[in-house]
Amino acid sequence: MFRFFLNRFGATLPTLLGMSFVAFAIVTLAPGDPVQMELRAMGVVPKPEDIAAIKAEYGLDKPFLARYIHWLWRAVQLDFGTSIATGRSVIEEIGLYLPATLMLAISSLVGSIVISLFLGALAIMGNRLTASLLRAITILLVSIPSFWLALILIHVFILDLGWSRLVGEGDLSDLILPALTLSLGAGASLGRLVYERVRAEACEDYVRLAIAKGISPLGILISHIAPRIIGPLVTVWATTLGWMLGGAVIVESIFGWPGLGQLILQAIGQRDYPVIQGYLVLMGLVFVTTSLIADLVVVVADPQLRRRLHRD
Amino acid sequence: MTESTFDHPLKRRRLLSWFAFSSGQTSFLLGVLMLTSICLLAIVPSLLSLPKPEAMDLLARLSPPSEAHLFGTDHLGRDQLARLLAAIPISLGAAAQTMGIILAIALPWGLIAGLGSPRLDMVMMRLSDIIMAFPTLVLALAVIGFMGASLEASILGVAAAWWPSNARLIRALVLSAKERDFVRAAHMAGASRSRLVFRHILPQILPPLAVMISLETASVLLALSSLSFLGIGAQPPTPEWGAMLNEARPFFAQAPHMLLAPGIAVVMTVLAFNLVGEGLRDLLDKREPFRW
Amino acid sequence: MVNVLSVSGLKVTCADDKALLNHISLDVTKGERIGLVGTSGSGKSLTAAALCGLLRPPLAACVDHLDIDGSEMRRASSRDWRRLRGKKIFQIFQSPASALTPGRRIGPQLKECCKQVGAPIETANLALERVKLSCDVMGQFPYQLSGGMKQRVLIVMALILRPTILIADEPTTGLDVLTEADILAALSEMLDETGSALIFISHDLRAVSQVANRVLVMEAGAIVEDCPVTELNQSVAPAARELAGAAKALEAIC
Repeated sequence: MFRFFLNRFGATLPTLLGMSFVAFAIVTLAPGDPVQMELRAMGVVPKPEDIAAIKAEYGLDKPFLARYIHWLWRAVQLDFGTSIATGRSVIEEIGLYLPATLMLAISSLVGSIVISLFLGALAIMGNRLTASLLRAITILLVSIPSFWLALILIHVFILDLGWSRLVGEGDLSDLILPALTLSLGAGASLGRLVYERVRAEACEDYVRLAIAKGISPLGILISHIAPRIIGPLVTVWATTLGWMLGGAVIVESIFGWPGLGQLILQAIGQRDYPVIQGYLVLMGLVFVTTSLIADLVVVVADPQLRRRLHRD
Repeated sequence: MTESTFDHPLKRRRLLSWFAFSSGQTSFLLGVLMLTSICLLAIVPSLLSLPKPEAMDLLARLSPPSEAHLFGTDHLGRDQLARLLAAIPISLGAAAQTMGIILAIALPWGLIAGLGSPRLDMVMMRLSDIIMAFPTLVLALAVIGFMGASLEASILGVAAAWWPSNARLIRALVLSAKERDFVRAAHMAGASRSRLVFRHILPQILPPLAVMISLETASVLLALSSLSFLGIGAQPPTPEWGAMLNEARPFFAQAPHMLLAPGIAVVMTVLAFNLVGEGLRDLLDKREPFRW
Repeated sequence: MVNVLSVSGLKVTCADDKALLNHISLDVTKGERIGLVGTSGSGKSLTAAALCGLLRPPLAACVDHLDIDGSEMRRASSRDWRRLRGKKIFQIFQSPASALTPGRRIGPQLKECCKQVGAPIETANLALERVKLSCDVMGQFPYQLSGGMKQRVLIVMALILRPTILIADEPTTGLDVLTEADILAALSEMLDETGSALIFISHDLRAVSQVANRVLVMEAGAIVEDCPVTELNQSVAPAARELAGAAKALEAIC
């Protein structure tokens, strides 16, 4: 079993390597002289006269692969250069705002899981009419853009009702509205997924036997169906966290939540390439780690897989 | 699920089947209806005598809905309705372009991975996994960050981030289509690769592919308008619903009418695609759960 | 003799109003063992599903009268069915491979049955012994058992539940002859022990004749004959005579 974990972890390394290459190569998308862009990516804005000298100094006259390895070496030490805008090191900059974004993403994930289980359970246990109604509501919720939902929520809760303030300082009470915004959309689509998976399992023969035994719907749901769907659900939850990390950018910008979202938007506006690169790599890392944890949980939860691994 | 098991006297059922559409049919038809209406609305400006979307009437800034301006005006005195309608071809066009790029990459990728050797499959899946390892919107942001903010950049960014999940889906469809008995029979009878693909595999995957395309278009549309809302997609003065909402932000308290219409427009269009996709999916799925 | 199961006018239709089952009527007395035979597609499994209230859309059923051990089920709600299922009427389905919940060990699945009837857990162990299964089975997963063992687990469930009526839908189809003998022996044990009535559904007349003394023959959604097994070849209905003839021919070979 331990060997399996090690294998799985080892399989992530090529992916991480590939991701680092993408993050490095993405600089070439920038318009203009690619090498100048790379200088920019390192936080250096050269004067035209000095370009050749600076290129040599930073080793930028070397071939692509050599430059990549040089960049990778620094990246592994979490050195992504300095921000063009603030002059602080990129990792320091990101470190300031990362916790707030993680808090938002995780609380939104938890919120969406709760909403999804509630909606899914309601749809299953209810009759045909409730199921159709809930389905209509879900499709509608999923179609609402988070930025519009945020604006509506602000209008209702902040301007009209005055329950909360707009300029966030990172207190927990300020987290509620942004997290709710993200949770609603994701919760609706997750709820639909829960409903579909349960419905698909309810077509299977083993459910028929459980019904024939006279077991209550709740009993069938909890004892027979839930263990079957927990694996795929956990995988989707991990993907949802990735979605939250991206969606947080929008919500943070609207609610003024002091997270990475504001940082990255500023960086895009100022063409602060070191920050954009660092952001890409670190977000990727967080996501890969969550996916890895999810995969391991899936294996641990499936008894058939567990036994097979124990035997090896 | 609490209806009586034997409560289906034949006469009543025959009557019901005349009137009731299945929910799958309702969704699909409703969605198609909405999409057609939206496309038709795009040509309305040339029929009615609406002011041009760029025409600024600074004296009438931020005015609420009136006879001259049915949906009011924005902060530069431009007619909201005209801008809303002008945004239709832009938003839909951008979504179509993005989906076009996504399919152009994902369809061959999925087909080759599904039909090729296991080695090739593994390599291709690894490559797409690398892209998928980034949170989707984050990757799009980075692409836009390096290309410079514009509608084209957001189209490319979203396409770059969205194609791997579609490729994976297509590959899964191709793999299950490949295993069907009639395909294996054709293969053993000596059918050429292209014949297998075009006559046996593609027709099989077309229905679930149609579902996927509708639902993904909805998702892409949401992403594109979100990016425009953040100011890094469609740039002013291009009329685009997300961008219009962004421009409305500073004036939200004074002119709430600017908030409603573009938002509703996005919701309606995305909803239409979702209804079409979900409706199709329902129509294709014949299995029914056991009644408890 | 009191009827534990009495149904009349059972009709099952498909989406386009095509009648799959036509006015089925049958009676089963307490402890009686009857067989329900017919060629594939004659409607045997549909009848069984309808009797347990387990039909799913697009199939729809209507019935004049369905009495299960004293309860009229024509207007019964889901809750009423839940009260009856397991204790009054229980069904063992074809393809045991998919009948047991995949991710759960056999033990909890059997304990569930014990809880249904309020029996202590030892009942499960005793029941396993009666069908000659080792108690180790309790800790195993369905994928670790053979087809015959899984079918016997289903019979164990019937043993625990002690239903008034047991419907066994093709319990030996797909199993080899030796295992079939084991299953039929286990089934007889179960019936002797619990005194349940049995409806044994099969297309194999030999298997049916080993357990049942009265047989109903179905053809194209209707019951065409209802007589003791021995009188089958003298039946008026051609379908019944054909079945009897085929079974006799097989017997003549081995």
